[in-house]
Formats: sequence, structure tokens, C-alpha cells
Amino acid sequence: MKWATRKHCHIDRAACAWLIRRFVDPEAEFVFVEDADEVPADATAFDMRGVELSHHGGDCSFETFLRRYELDDPVLWDIARIVHEADLDDERYDAPEAVGFDVALRGLSMVVDDERLLELTGPLFDGLYEFRKRALMLGREPA
Amino acid sequence: MLAYRVPRQPSTPRIAIWRRLKRLGIAQLLDGLVALPLDSRTREALEWVADDVEAAGGEATVWIATPASRSQERALAAQMAQAVASEYEAVADEASAAGEQEPWLRRRTLARLRRELNRIRRRDFFPPAERERAEAAVEQLAATLEEAVAK
Repeated sequence: MKWATRKHCHIDRAACAWLIRRFVDPEAEFVFVEDADEVPADATAFDMRGVELSHHGGDCSFETFLRRYELDDPVLWDIARIVHEADLDDERYDAPEAVGFDVALRGLSMVVDDERLLELTGPLFDGLYEFRKRALMLGREPA
Repeated sequence: MLAYRVPRQPSTPRIAIWRRLKRLGIAQLLDGLVALPLDSRTREALEWVADDVEAAGGEATVWIATPASRSQERALAAQMAQAVASEYEAVADEASAAGEQEPWLRRRTLARLRRELNRIRRRDFFPPAERERAEAAVEQLAATLEEAVAK
């Protein structure tokens, strides 16, 4: 399937792209556009104004994806907390990791293009998933 | 730049939208017209607020605008710097006053003030002189704690 989002990906779009590839559509192909009018007819748009898979009622797009696709994995909701705070910084959650992720993603977006950014952040989110999964199972931070 | 209008009632979404704009560090040009210096993040932030305004039954449009004169631009930057300056001052005053506190309480105050400083820095687009003063006052408070440990 084809997916479209805005250029200049930051944490929310990078996390959504990872979520799509890993949990929704392993064959996902991404298109980056400047304006909503440029979204190809056969693509599903996300994290853009006025589309279904976007910010809703205080949720960031990553949270919207979890709700719409009924992904109730507690590890994903734990990651959502970090993505939400790194993206919106509205103190809805306590997510001390968010500041670090925000800086890492913003810095990366200064030196690589969107395709490469998704290539690089994929393993980062895989690692975060593993880390938070073990932390939830152990009830404390893993070694 | 965001031009918007939210219905007066219900007031909850109206207040939530206003709080969100405040946290972003907007300059208010007129009632219902606010601005931020342009970059990809501020643009996106205003677009999300515009969506919230529409969800609350209001109207919103996002614009990329340039002031027609330099003096207008300077006045706007000064207005924004002034707004954060008073927040920095409050932090500096609190940090100075906390020097007399018991060490355990001082440690707690220090952590809170550091968080507060970070929060202000994120909406500070035109750093005023008060910023350095607040940072110095907070670091001074941290230094008194290190002395207390050394004793």
C-alpha cells in the first residue's frame, strides 16, 4: 500500500511510519508531499491537516493509529506516551525520554532526507519497543 | 500566523486553545490573530491548533506572512521578548529567595526551577537579557547545594 505524509519528518511521522511497516503494512511505500493537494489518489495520508489518521482531540497521529487499528499492545501505548510528549510537549504524560528523542530526531532531520530518516529511525524504534517491552515485563528498567 | 475564531460557548475548548497558544509562545497581533517566527515546527504547531479550532466549531486559517516594515518586525520581537522576560524574572527571584531554604527543600526547588527554565526556553524566540540572569541565579542555587554537600 502507498502512504503519504508531509515532508520534513519529525518524531510523530517517523514513529507512525515505523508502526505502519511493523504492525499494519509490511509492504508500505511512503510518499512525502509539501501540500495536501499533492497526495496521490491511491495513497493513504497520515499526520496531515484534515485527514483521518492525524491529530484528534489532543491525540498525536501515533495515538490515532493505535486507536483506529485497535492496536492495544501496552508496549505501543507506552511508546505513544514518549511520541506524544516529544511531539506536543503538553505535559499530558510524564515522559522524561521525550526530550532526548525530540533532539535526536530534530538533529537527524538536519543532516539526512526523509527516506533516510525513516531507514535510520526504524531500528531505533525497534530498540525502544524491545526496551519498553522488557521494562514492562520486569516491572523495572532492564540492564 | 493563525487567524481564528472560536465560539464563546462552551468555554472549555476555547480556554484549552488559548492555553496551547500561550505555551507555544505566540505574539498576539489582534484578538484572534496570533503569530510565531516561521520554521517547520512552528508552522506545524499552528496547523494543529487550527484543526482544534475547527473541531471546536470555530474557523481558522494559517498564513505565511512578512511584516511590511522592519520597525514593525522589531516591535513584535520586542513584545515577545518582553513576555518571556517577566517569566525569567520570576524564576530568578525565586532562585535567589530559595538560598535560605533547608538543603532538602532547596534541592527540590532547584529541580522545579530547572524544569521551569526549560519550559520557558522552548517558547523563547528572542532571548532577553533576563534569560542569562535567570540561568545564573539557578546555577548559583545549585552551587550552594554543592557547598552544603562539601561541608
